[in-house]
Amino acid sequence: MLVPMQKLTLYALKADRDALLLALQKDGSVMLEPEAGSKALPGSEKVSAQLDKTGQVLQFLVQNGAKNPLFPQKEAISYGNFLKETQEGRQLTEKLDTTASKIASLESEAAALRTQAESLDPWLKLDIPLEQLSFTETTRCHVGFLPEKELPEFQKAISGLLADMSLYELTQDGQAMVILAYEDADNDVKHLLKEHDFSEAVLPKRSGLAADVRKELLQEAEEKENRIARLKEETRESIPQKQQVELYYDQLNAAHDRLQNGGVETVSAFKVQGWVRKDRAQRVEQVVQGVTDAYQLTFADPEEGEIPPTVLENGRLVEPYESVVELYSLPKAGSVDPDMIMAPFHFIFFGMMMSDAGYGLVLTIMLYFALKKFKPTGFARQLALVIFFGGISTTLWGAMFGGWFGLEWHPLLFVPMNEPLKMLALCFGLGAIHLITGMLIKTKMLFREGDVMGAVCDQISWLIMFLGFFLMALVPGPIGKYLAWLGAGIIVLFGGRDRKGIISRLIGGLLTLYNISGYLSDLLSYSRIFALGLATGVIAMVINTVAQMLWSAGPVGIVAAILVLLAGHYFNIVINVLGAFVHSSRLQYIEFFGKFYEAGGRAFLPLALRTKYTDITK
Amino acid sequence: MITLGTALAFGGAATAAGLAGVGSAIGVAIAGQAASGVVSEDPDKFGNVLVLQALPGTQGIYGLLIAFIIILNLGVIDGNVKDLTTFQGLAYLFAALPMGLGGLLSAIYQGKVAASGIYLTAKRPEETGKGIILTAMVETYAVLSLLISFIMVNGIKL
Repeated sequence: MLVPMQKLTLYALKADRDALLLALQKDGSVMLEPEAGSKALPGSEKVSAQLDKTGQVLQFLVQNGAKNPLFPQKEAISYGNFLKETQEGRQLTEKLDTTASKIASLESEAAALRTQAESLDPWLKLDIPLEQLSFTETTRCHVGFLPEKELPEFQKAISGLLADMSLYELTQDGQAMVILAYEDADNDVKHLLKEHDFSEAVLPKRSGLAADVRKELLQEAEEKENRIARLKEETRESIPQKQQVELYYDQLNAAHDRLQNGGVETVSAFKVQGWVRKDRAQRVEQVVQGVTDAYQLTFADPEEGEIPPTVLENGRLVEPYESVVELYSLPKAGSVDPDMIMAPFHFIFFGMMMSDAGYGLVLTIMLYFALKKFKPTGFARQLALVIFFGGISTTLWGAMFGGWFGLEWHPLLFVPMNEPLKMLALCFGLGAIHLITGMLIKTKMLFREGDVMGAVCDQISWLIMFLGFFLMALVPGPIGKYLAWLGAGIIVLFGGRDRKGIISRLIGGLLTLYNISGYLSDLLSYSRIFALGLATGVIAMVINTVAQMLWSAGPVGIVAAILVLLAGHYFNIVINVLGAFVHSSRLQYIEFFGKFYEAGGRAFLPLALRTKYTDITK
Repeated sequence: MITLGTALAFGGAATAAGLAGVGSAIGVAIAGQAASGVVSEDPDKFGNVLVLQALPGTQGIYGLLIAFIIILNLGVIDGNVKDLTTFQGLAYLFAALPMGLGGLLSAIYQGKVAASGIYLTAKRPEETGKGIILTAMVETYAVLSLLISFIMVNGIKL
């Protein structure tokens, strides 16, 4: 069901603003919306920056060995304590942030030193200290690399000039060399060097022999690396206090959310607006009253052109399936919530796709304990419950089809592998019911909107035709044929009613009739239920067969067989849960929703205490 | 002595498992390369991208399934390989073709869609579900291939 929403407008004094926002955040039922002229509260940028920093610090701790579990145990804290900013958390965050940037700069320094040391590798045999590799009164000096293939010619050319050359290591950049030229000959030498693609070497600005300088650089790099190691060790020591940083993160996050929107303000008053569930309006008023009596609060139903956020509400059994709808897209405000009708189909299809009672039992028990132990919340909880229900459905269908861990045992209905046509008929039958349900919903929606023509010509006409086909196959006599013709007639006559002119309209109608191929492919799509069920069953058989072969090979074989059975069936369950969930959802999204669903709702994100690491007890 | 028919039936089983397996290997590899790239930036997304990477792997399983049913019918599992006529063998070979070819190509293309779904996850992790659904759209055709191969294999009377 879609919950009716109301628009809230609150006027109050700026002096009360912080307290009001805090109270509304604690209550968590109002979604504030920015409007023209509304501003964030002062300090929000600072909090934002601090929040980012804290997030990075937490990541830094994880990089240095802190655990980062998939389902973290949330630390319980009272609301009163949550409001007091943790000093330890803040100090630790600042300290770790400094450490992280220190490590980063030390790392880049060490890397630079190592690169410099490496650049000296070709010059280790150079017997002139580096600082003396420069000009004197009468000589000029060139240090660098010459491509190897240019060397013979260059040597020949330079021997005619007043210059001396000594060669060092041969590197990737070319032949390392030092050229000493008499001042007067230097222009010629330069010209020659350019001609032969000589490249200048960049040597570290240090004094001493190349070999000594290299050693010195490496030593310095090592010192820096040692300091990095010490800093990392220090960081690891603060891992036990990670909880304080996490609490600080949650506190900042709450402050960040609260400061986002301060509304429109005058010198001493302000106004905010937002959305609230109609049934919670009273409660919000009480919350405001609890803070101040200098306020004006109004609630109004959404006006034309205003799009309230979408809130779904369903019974306990259906509510988990909201996650399936959420994965697709929330329904548009004012349309229908498909959960109630979709849930039983999703439940049935999931079970038929897994179709093994043994797997169903394992799945049900596993999910039951997972839900008990990890206590997931929100979307994760809903998803887990959908799979938990799926497990129950799998057990039921497995018993129907006689599948128990890939072995056949007393099917209540029939064995799909032995009677594939019966199974296909069952799939198509359920598919037809699914599709027709979708079309009936659309018919109801059209009637509600007052579009009787649309309901009769685009929906009911098809339903009459399908009913005709159905009767043709099952009931003797011409009644089915007449109904099919009636339906087809309505479609041809009115399918093209948007067009002008009789001929164009009839052609339009005939083209509409061609949509039957679309309905047919929708229906055929349900054959996947059988195919996925087959995949589960036969792979389970394969696992059993392999285990059986191993079993006869003595004691080692028996151990191997048990391992194969455990790992194989586990793998088969995991891969097929994924397949069953994805494909039964797909049947909803493409085949079912395609018939009536209006997507494009926006999520309701109230101002609330959203914590990642802590659990606030009231 | 194995008859030509039996050998052809083996060819059918090999086609189904081999081609579909190759397809899945390629598909999973394409998705896996994309996944590693995303995980290198954000290791927390490992769970999400792993699901997407696994999707093109199902074709290999479907191929194995058809191959298994063929060799089961041939009696390889219980050790008494049946002698098939040439036409029976050819029928098995043809029956395995949809699964082999459909599996091979759909897995490769599904791998490509999975890779783009993985990039989608990198940019907008909250939309992973949609990436999974888009990837599963390709699988439809592997499922149809599996179904028709199964019905054909099941219809061959020995």
